Amino acid sequence: MAELHQSKKNLIMYILTLFVVTLFALWLRRLDIESSWQLAGMINFSLGFVMLAAYMSAQILKIARLPLISGYIIVGIIAGPYVSGFLTDDMIDRFGFINDIALSFIALTAGGALHLQMLRKRRKIIVLNIVLLTVVVFGFVFTFFAFMGSHFNFTGNLASPQIIAFAVLIGVVAVARSPSSAIAIISESRASGPFTETVLGVTIAMDVLIIILFTIAVTAARIFVGGSEMPDTHVFVAVSTELVISFFLGALLGKGIALYIDRIRHNLPLFLLFLAFGVSKLSLWLNNGIEIHFDVYLHLKPLLICMGAGFTVQNFSKTGAYFMDNLDRVSLPVYVLFFSLAGASLNFEALKVCWMLALCLAIVRVAGIFCATWLAGTIAGDPPLHNRTAWMAYLTQAGVAIGLAQIAESEFPGIGVYLTTVILALIFVNQLVGPVTFKTVLNLVGESKVR
Amino acid sequence: MKIIFALLIIVFLAFSGYHLTFRGFKLPLFAREFYLKGTEFLFLGLILGPSFLNLLDTETMRGLEPVGALVLGWIGLLFGFQFEITRLRRFPLDFFTAALLESLLTFAVVFWSVYLTLPMITDISGTMRLVVSLTLSAAAACTAQTGVALLTPDFTERHGKTVGILRYVSSIDGLSALVIFAVVFFFKEPSISGFYWIGDLAMGTVFSFVISMGLVFLYIIFIASHRDEKELALVVIAMAVLTSGIASLLHFSPLVTNFFVGFCLVNFCRRKERLFKIFVGVEKPVYLLLLVFLGASWTLDSPWLIVLAALYCLCRFGGKLFGGFLVTRLNPELRSYPPHIGFGLLDQGGLPLAILFDFQRGISCDIAAGVISLVLLAVIYNEFLGPYLLVRLLKEAK
Repeated sequence: MAELHQSKKNLIMYILTLFVVTLFALWLRRLDIESSWQLAGMINFSLGFVMLAAYMSAQILKIARLPLISGYIIVGIIAGPYVSGFLTDDMIDRFGFINDIALSFIALTAGGALHLQMLRKRRKIIVLNIVLLTVVVFGFVFTFFAFMGSHFNFTGNLASPQIIAFAVLIGVVAVARSPSSAIAIISESRASGPFTETVLGVTIAMDVLIIILFTIAVTAARIFVGGSEMPDTHVFVAVSTELVISFFLGALLGKGIALYIDRIRHNLPLFLLFLAFGVSKLSLWLNNGIEIHFDVYLHLKPLLICMGAGFTVQNFSKTGAYFMDNLDRVSLPVYVLFFSLAGASLNFEALKVCWMLALCLAIVRVAGIFCATWLAGTIAGDPPLHNRTAWMAYLTQAGVAIGLAQIAESEFPGIGVYLTTVILALIFVNQLVGPVTFKTVLNLVGESKVR
Repeated sequence: MKIIFALLIIVFLAFSGYHLTFRGFKLPLFAREFYLKGTEFLFLGLILGPSFLNLLDTETMRGLEPVGALVLGWIGLLFGFQFEITRLRRFPLDFFTAALLESLLTFAVVFWSVYLTLPMITDISGTMRLVVSLTLSAAAACTAQTGVALLTPDFTERHGKTVGILRYVSSIDGLSALVIFAVVFFFKEPSISGFYWIGDLAMGTVFSFVISMGLVFLYIIFIASHRDEKELALVVIAMAVLTSGIASLLHFSPLVTNFFVGFCLVNFCRRKERLFKIFVGVEKPVYLLLLVFLGASWTLDSPWLIVLAALYCLCRFGGKLFGGFLVTRLNPELRSYPPHIGFGLLDQGGLPLAILFDFQRGISCDIAAGVISLVLLAVIYNEFLGPYLLVRLLKEAK
């Protein structure tokens, strides 16, 4: 009873505060901007406002047992350029560096959340999930689009080879998931246990695997669209080398972090935050430098470096617990910023254009995920409850899928625009639904410590 | 790419440097005073700035705008937190009036010197002449605490009384400087004709007060219910950026607005200790970031700046000495303190640099780079001169 009363009180307070902040924002938006300094002020104000509004909205949704990141994403969508226009495209671009910090930081957390001992124990189910999710989800989405693609208005004018190429690419993108969302929800729910470890292991492994799968898909799609061009094996060697080097650098960095914790220890959250951003950008800088000076196209993956670093600290040093505890201390501002900006970037226009196709693809993807996870769980002998509900943990999609869509757009000018639009619309649906189902399943299997 | 690399270097060095700077890193004796105050980060900024590597160019600084806003907001809030009335009451009122009088006298000396000299040095409009003079004199009026803070325990114990008043004055005398600096933001017109700006000033003051109260109200609502450390940190970061943004939007000083908000919070908010813990937690890295940002704006175009900075330093020295002399001689309660107490008030870090950063961001001025370079050089002069004169003062004191 007392808890209910407190919840009501909190709800009223959050709504009132949100109302006051929004009024403040609406009033300030009416001011004329006369100088660059005022413009900078507007940008700063908008950033602060979105952080506060996202935080409060998430707290309101939390009372309704929805995940916090849904609140951040929804506020982002409302504040973003497609709905209220409070955050303009230009502002989102200017906040790009914050996204980079957040992503690298989340990758550090993701790596640190993987326990080698638990992974070894769950090796069978993880491998089965990876294989089946890849094959079944790709198979479902590919088949659906290959046969039905020409019946949708949006893609009706594509030629048959283009439909097939499109189906290959969208099939692979459907396999991608969002480790950042998974980490945020696991962190919010303080979930732990075999189910959580499996989901995390599968999600992170697929994040690596998707890079290779996408390279294969692009090569295959090129054959369909361009005729008889044969696959270039150098591409696969280059991608594999990038992954290996990224993990190697991550391991080195992890050792460095462990050394820092061992010797200095002070203000680790700040150190990690700066380091996360540093890795993300230094790898970009190195990629450009190597390309310009040595004509070698090496693209180190900052996310993989950070994941490798987190994994090394957790599993190959004695400082893992301290490391994770400190990451958790700075997680909230990072998540609020990252997911509200991610929400602001979600393309509402794309959804309006092809909502029917996106919805159908989302349903087919869910069906594929359900079959794959149920089959994997049944073969591995997992509890029936886990097998029935595991699909709910694999719906979220975000950054990686957007990145893949952008690459596809540049690689395939003929179908690229259609593909990007559909993928953005699909992500919109999955990113709204995915966090809710993920939080629900963590509660259902009893691994969530916060209800 | 530059923005990214620049931020990387700045934040990483600022953070790692904090440990070297403030955690007993051993250096040769001659360099220790200089190094321990973190002044080397000004040089780091200089190297990163347009004068050398050009990693922190105008475009990059524009991209780092929210970080700058956060830095200013953080410093303003922290300074506001120093003015907890119940804590200030523990000290005699004479200390408070002495601190304000000393800084106002320094301000007056420097203001008139700069105001009268400026037209001889550069072609400057009436408004800008006033704005630059006010900024330079406000920056001169306050004192950094680092010199006193770095005294050895032995010294502090032997000269407890004098060290006590020096500590108090150096933590309080920024108040008048900040109030004076706030006035700078009301001069928007190209030139001053008549006294219509006084009306603007009055209106602006009332308006700023109302807005600040609104922000304080928001803080209090946010902090009213129990929140864990993560949530409080988020609220503080977001509110500091939001407050700085609002201040810029309304063409007012982010530093002063945040100071006022901090002042209200420390006096009217029940959960101030938790907030203070968060502010203090990253105080040093924030300060070092400020040094790097300012160092990047440092230009060494004219050798005359070295001379001008020395003159500015001399004026400030005169003001501090004069102010210190007057407050210890005019007030019978303070006569037991050495008349040349101004020797101990020469350090010029922290708040003056924040004032300068705020000026650089908020005021569009042709000679802004010169003003910044001048004060930075003066800060460095004072870094060398301050400790020597402070020790001399204490040795001569009872």
